Amino acid sequence: MADAQFDSALDLLRRLNPRDTKQNLQAITSIVPDLTEDLLSSVDQPLEIRKCPKTDRDYLLCDYNRDGDSYRSPWSNEFDPPLEDGTVPSERVRKLEVAANEAFDVYRELYYEGGVGSVYFWDLDDGFAGVILLKKGERVLSCYFRLAIQANILFCIGVTPGAKSSGEWDSIHVFEATDRARMSHYKLTSTVILHLANESESLGEMDLSGNMTRQVEVDLPVESDASDVANVGRLVEDMELKMRNLLQEVYFGKAKDVVGELRSLPSLSESNRDRATHLEMIRSMHS
Amino acid sequence: MASTTELASSFIEGAPPGELADVVADVKALTSDGPDIIPSLAPAFERYNETQLTTVKLPGASQEVLISEYNKLEGNRYFDVESQTSFEVDHVTQEASAAQSYVLESQNADLIKSLLKSLSAHATEHYRTCSYGVYPIEDDTAVAIVLVANRYSPNNFWNGRFRAIYTLPVNSSSTTISGQIKVDVHYYEDGNVALNTNKPVNLSVPSVDASSIISRIAAAERDYQEELNRAFVSTAEGVFKGLRRQLPITRQKVEWEKVGGYRLGQDIAGGR
Repeated sequence: MADAQFDSALDLLRRLNPRDTKQNLQAITSIVPDLTEDLLSSVDQPLEIRKCPKTDRDYLLCDYNRDGDSYRSPWSNEFDPPLEDGTVPSERVRKLEVAANEAFDVYRELYYEGGVGSVYFWDLDDGFAGVILLKKGERVLSCYFRLAIQANILFCIGVTPGAKSSGEWDSIHVFEATDRARMSHYKLTSTVILHLANESESLGEMDLSGNMTRQVEVDLPVESDASDVANVGRLVEDMELKMRNLLQEVYFGKAKDVVGELRSLPSLSESNRDRATHLEMIRSMHS
Repeated sequence: MASTTELASSFIEGAPPGELADVVADVKALTSDGPDIIPSLAPAFERYNETQLTTVKLPGASQEVLISEYNKLEGNRYFDVESQTSFEVDHVTQEASAAQSYVLESQNADLIKSLLKSLSAHATEHYRTCSYGVYPIEDDTAVAIVLVANRYSPNNFWNGRFRAIYTLPVNSSSTTISGQIKVDVHYYEDGNVALNTNKPVNLSVPSVDASSIISRIAAAERDYQEELNRAFVSTAEGVFKGLRRQLPITRQKVEWEKVGGYRLGQDIAGGR
């Protein structure tokens, strides 16, 4: 029964508005409290930011750097609020974690040109595992002008006052690296949560929100601990490129196509007539 | 704390286009009452059906008619002007029964019939499948024009709904049409992506004439769809690009062996 309920909860969260996942998750767990732990660890939500008291740097919160009510900062390796015996990675894995945080900081600057990132690693019996988190928000509040050029003179042909545009991107990459002879087996599960909103006089309100998840498994050669970090880096980089393209396709291609399925901009009788004329032409060419 | 009934009601009312049955199945599985919870959710089903402009098949007919707050009679009965029928709706199963002949009694009956005729022509030109209605409202001093178009493709993991509701007072010669266009699209293959839009519409028409009213509405819908299409492009080119680049500005992928690698590589080697 519990398994079936867990599946129903996931199905429900996959159907209800992704903008409201947090409230819906709370609602489900207040109906079925037994599911709380499992759902919190398997449903991805937009990441929260906290400032590391020791280093003054921002870091991201998730289930993997949480111990009780405290969170571990990747910069200081300390829990906030402080914990006497909080779970920290072994010395070797912590060194990998520090290296990965430095590497993904560079990655974040190159691809996100801002935002916040955090990497958390933990030990496995036959390797290690980790999560790479990246978050970026954008808010554009503007009057935007529509411009036209005529006879080399720039005209302003319309102003949309109070047009607002905002976006929020959250990447959550969870991986396991298990040791094989001179190789590591990597299993990566990546989720991107992307919320976009637009508002203006002529458009009204437009909200495009959601999340998508993809998985990949691969064996890669490992010469040293440094190549483990590089392997994970390349895997995440390739996955994010793939997912960015996928999101672009779904958010701006698929959604627009479905709107076109609901309502046809060109008149249907005209397009049907055009199609009939076209068929007639083909037929006459073959006769 | 909210009761189970309240929480389950919010799930029912939040069901995306074409997926109410799936949401109901999940709600039954999650609540300890199982199927017994359904009767207590009846008000939520009714609100869902009226706001989402649910369509029902009239008994013995193939056409689907919509239900809304505007064509509601006593109890769970609704009426359709075009087929001159009233019918009872089971809000949970979304089935119509007990159809009866229904004659529209309104001082605006002629206007309503002309509006239906013009609306039908407009609908055929732009909606592959849709249901619509025109109803007298506010003690017969105004008219509501309502249209819903659904496309469901669960095998391809997407569903969509287009709703348009306009009301106009008919007590003077010129009038203002006010209304809302809402588009909802759900895509859920290995994820959950939703488009929800809401566009308030305000149009003034010089005379209360059916064909000019419908052509103003048709133009507003066209303008809105064009604006929405532009918004897809500008969001992709604007905010989306600003969040994450496709490639770094150097057009080169990250050289993972080099980023912080030397110093840290030594660090790691030294630590062993």
